Amino acid sequence: MLKMTHLAKVYRTEVVETYALRDFNIDVKEGEFVAVTGPSGSGKTTFLTIAGLLETFTGGEYHLDGIEVSQLNDNARSKIRNEKIGFIFQAFNLIPDLNVFDNVEVPLRYRGMKAPERKQRIMDALERVGLAARARHYPAELSGGQQQRVAIARALAGSPRLLLADEPTGNLDTQMARGVMELLEEIHREGATIVMVTHDPELAARAQRNVHVIDGQVVDLSEEPRFHAHNHAQTARS
Amino acid sequence: MNLQIKPILTALRRHKSGTILIALQIALTLAIVCNALFIVHQRVERVHRPTGLDETNLITVQNRYVGKPDTFIPLMKTDVATLRNIPGVESAYVTNAFPLRRGGWSTGIQTEPDKTKDSLPSALYFVDEQALATLGVKLLAGRNFNPSEVVTVGPQTTPAPAQVIITKAIADKLFPKGDALGKTLYYAKGKPSTVIGIVAKLTVPWIDFDHMDNVTLMPVRFDSGYQQFLVRTKPGQQDNVFKAIPKALYASNRMRVLPEKTGIRTFETIRAAAYEADRGMAILMTVVCAVLLTITAAGIVGLSSFWVGQRRKQIGVRRALGARRSDILGYFLTENFLIALGGVIVGTMLALGLSQWMLKYFEMPRVSFTYVAVGVLLLLVLGQLAVFAPALRASKVSPVEATRA
Repeated sequence: MLKMTHLAKVYRTEVVETYALRDFNIDVKEGEFVAVTGPSGSGKTTFLTIAGLLETFTGGEYHLDGIEVSQLNDNARSKIRNEKIGFIFQAFNLIPDLNVFDNVEVPLRYRGMKAPERKQRIMDALERVGLAARARHYPAELSGGQQQRVAIARALAGSPRLLLADEPTGNLDTQMARGVMELLEEIHREGATIVMVTHDPELAARAQRNVHVIDGQVVDLSEEPRFHAHNHAQTARS
Repeated sequence: MNLQIKPILTALRRHKSGTILIALQIALTLAIVCNALFIVHQRVERVHRPTGLDETNLITVQNRYVGKPDTFIPLMKTDVATLRNIPGVESAYVTNAFPLRRGGWSTGIQTEPDKTKDSLPSALYFVDEQALATLGVKLLAGRNFNPSEVVTVGPQTTPAPAQVIITKAIADKLFPKGDALGKTLYYAKGKPSTVIGIVAKLTVPWIDFDHMDNVTLMPVRFDSGYQQFLVRTKPGQQDNVFKAIPKALYASNRMRVLPEKTGIRTFETIRAAAYEADRGMAILMTVVCAVLLTITAAGIVGLSSFWVGQRRKQIGVRRALGARRSDILGYFLTENFLIALGGVIVGTMLALGLSQWMLKYFEMPRVSFTYVAVGVLLLLVLGQLAVFAPALRASKVSPVEATRA
């Protein structure tokens, strides 16, 4: 589903080159729930932005759903983002001027989908996250947890091949975070491929597999099975 | 490009103040600009309206004799002869007035000797047999004056020569059946004048007159020290004749005043001077339009730039969710179009209201719908042009902006 081989991302200025990712390798299979962990500045967010085609990379290869994406133009990248990827951001990133319904509709409009189908998908997605009754509410009228659920509905509405989540519970309190996490687990059980970037070991432990990133490189810890979060947290820190 | 009218309208409802301000600015600009452009059009039309003359190669001389009144008629005759003898001159005559001079005589024409009511106003031009050729006016019917028909009229006398030539406008008004030639008209009580000719078009000396084409040509030599001469030159000879006229006139008789600025003028100068105020108004209105349109465009650029800056993250999110650059560009162009559309709808009503008001208080003609339509189009296009640069900047916002705090 998502395969990066010897991938590099270099930020260049006139005087210095900074490697955000270096010889970065990852292979996420279809239906997997992978947590990408690592300390701040390790490159996990850079990985996510490249994985989500939000940014280009400097070297190596990246295959997404069988497509080598390095040569794609901006429009083709937009189309893949729209049709194959669902984003869940830490800050929810709902559009404050639009109500819940219209927010979920945004990616579907860019797909050129007809109104009746859009409506069906939006209502299905909102039902799925338990917020169908809030369709006409504006983001500011919802709690953080509800906003993130709307963002998840927005990500799900387009039936993406891959869900990319960037610290999805980072802005939520424990109870809300638990609810969101349970929702992601449920979506995964239904067959979705999820890649989640987090620095929270407890969350990471709930994924099928953990990929640890340090200094822009992957340290795969998946060979060491973990049975509960605290063990993993210690492993991750050790 | 994905048009998103409904969500754009929804979003605009949450940015009411900025939206309403720009829409109002567009509305006011439209109201003022289309009325102003209409005024410009009217003024330009006035500036170019025909006099009936062949205005090229025509020179006017304004002359004042210094001396005893009883010398004026012989001096006048000598001057006409002098002017006609200047090489390059085709014809010349002496008169009291001519089109665009902004000063002259008018009287009421009667068709019956004693009637005093319902007279038709007419300007009076005192001419001789060379006037038609000098003016370049076309004789539609009848004949020109003979030199023998030219009579001398003193300052205290109401001129009423035996023969007159009238314009078609007078002929049509007084004799709608088309039989004006040979008819008798009365310019002074009890003194008949026979219509011996009809000319196509000739305007009065004034630029604002209810009957612009009502002119009577009279074979009159007016006994006064203050005279106008009109001189038609041969093609290509205007400059030479222009320089030769003062020399020839002063050589003939130095006891005269040819004013430095208004003494000898080409008809081009006469026209420019006559419509100076109209041209000034047209320029002023054009400048007002340009300033208003610039301010409106600047307002649109300013607000759009502010909104783009404010919505960078949102643009990034839209890009992350699959918007192409063209979708973002289209979003801002559509947003502006919708605001401008609201503005021009209100502006159209304001424009018509303003026109109605000017009609009522300043007796100005009602603005034509063409001008409103042109104004609407102009502002919609201006809006799109003004928003294009900020919209282009918006379309270049990277989708990675979505992940930035």
